[in-house]
Amino acid sequence: MWTVSTYVLKKKLAGNKRFPLVLMLEPLFRCSLACAGCGKVQYPPHILKKQLTPEECFAAVDECGAPMVSIPGGEPLLHPQIVEIVNGLIARKKYIYLCTNALELKRRLPEFTPSKYLTFSVHLDGQRDHHDFSVCREGGYDIAVDGIKEAVKRGFRVTTNATFFDGTDPNSVRAFFDEVMGMGVEGIILSPGYSYDKAPDQNHFMGRARVRRLFRAILSNRKPTWKFNMSPLFLEFLMGDRNYECVPWGMPTFNIFGWQKPCYLLQEGYTESYKELLETTKWEEYGVPSGNPKCANCMVSCGYETPAVIEGFGSWKGFVSMVRGTFNKYPDQHALKLLDDAASHASAPLVQIDQPDHALEETNA
Amino acid sequence: MTAEVLKYTLEQVEALELAPGAEHENLEGWVPTLASEDDLRQALEKAFDYRGDVTLTLKNGERIEAFIFNCQTGPTLAESWVQYFSPTSPDKRKVSYAEIARLEFSGKDRAAGKHWEDWVKNYNEKKAAGEKNIALVPDALD
Repeated sequence: MWTVSTYVLKKKLAGNKRFPLVLMLEPLFRCSLACAGCGKVQYPPHILKKQLTPEECFAAVDECGAPMVSIPGGEPLLHPQIVEIVNGLIARKKYIYLCTNALELKRRLPEFTPSKYLTFSVHLDGQRDHHDFSVCREGGYDIAVDGIKEAVKRGFRVTTNATFFDGTDPNSVRAFFDEVMGMGVEGIILSPGYSYDKAPDQNHFMGRARVRRLFRAILSNRKPTWKFNMSPLFLEFLMGDRNYECVPWGMPTFNIFGWQKPCYLLQEGYTESYKELLETTKWEEYGVPSGNPKCANCMVSCGYETPAVIEGFGSWKGFVSMVRGTFNKYPDQHALKLLDDAASHASAPLVQIDQPDHALEETNA
Repeated sequence: MTAEVLKYTLEQVEALELAPGAEHENLEGWVPTLASEDDLRQALEKAFDYRGDVTLTLKNGERIEAFIFNCQTGPTLAESWVQYFSPTSPDKRKVSYAEIARLEFSGKDRAAGKHWEDWVKNYNEKKAAGEKNIALVPDALD
């Protein structure tokens, strides 16, 4: 927290208009899962075989200068030099979130050394049946949980990360929070899904009104045991209590193609350098106020957590709101009603494929 | 706004319940007619969005199998280019629109058949047949 807060303050005092908070470093697109609808891994084999070298990763990190590096993919643990990449980033004192499906985590853990700079962020989309169905692999949850428990036992920092799509049962999500906190993880990361046009599946993404209703149901009336590894102000944004404009330059993406325009989810071209990305991207063409239909339903953290963090560390008022949000349980009777309504409709633990629209439908949140 | 139409007001966006996704065309095997400059520009824009390899035939007769991942359009064809990886070369390469004579969507569309509904149908059929450990597996790399 100290590193991020001083970084944000320094950038603001220096008058930097645009600066990166988290580098999304995708060292490869290859994955050991084949989740239906995932738009990150739909490439020909010769592309899936490519990967960034450690030197390319370090050069991107050094050029960008972000204090945090998220390593998604593909599955980073399939990269043969991932340990070298991680160690190089630790040596640079970067806070790393290595995003993994954890199918290989338990086996690979002995190669890593626990560090305050390294967090394994394990993809878990919900309770066992829900997660397995979501990642299209029965048994995936149990393997991932095994990996989480082993990582916690070995002293690693571990979070879970989940993406929620239309049809998500908020009661099941809350029970899932209880489960993961019981595993000893440091916190939970979550995000609504987003219908970026590269994704093969285009039919299960919530609009903003529904996202806010779902997250109000999930995140109100919090239990004391729940911890979130996210800005409290961003969570308030998901619940509909705050409004932010997208800040796509806050979490730039680098992969085998180069620096991705304009953000982690849209692929509208690439540049050779981060400087070129900042200077040549027409930022005004993105985000909700632009009217760009591609941005219409996006409330994803890669665009909206940066402004929340900047607000939280950029002013006393923001800081106080952030501290208050950290301890607030957000009691909300209407949200309890949303949960009751969802419970009365729920018939199975899985995403409701045949009736995707029922839960939370008849509310006025 | 580049190749975009202002489609939503702020109020409409905030009230969206379900997000209309993009329509994906079935382009695999398509050989567009490149009779005009506009034809070429539109076809290359689709090739940029395509999740498979295409085959470019240049005006000098060279044929290039390519995964196009980047493009930049300028006022003339000579100032416009696509950037690609070829299966036979490790390096990124660029070719000007002005050099391209023919385009074929020759490679498999890697996004085709990967809708959520496809998985649900597949899952239900296997479950009904009594299968265990049902899963989708990544495409083979060789």
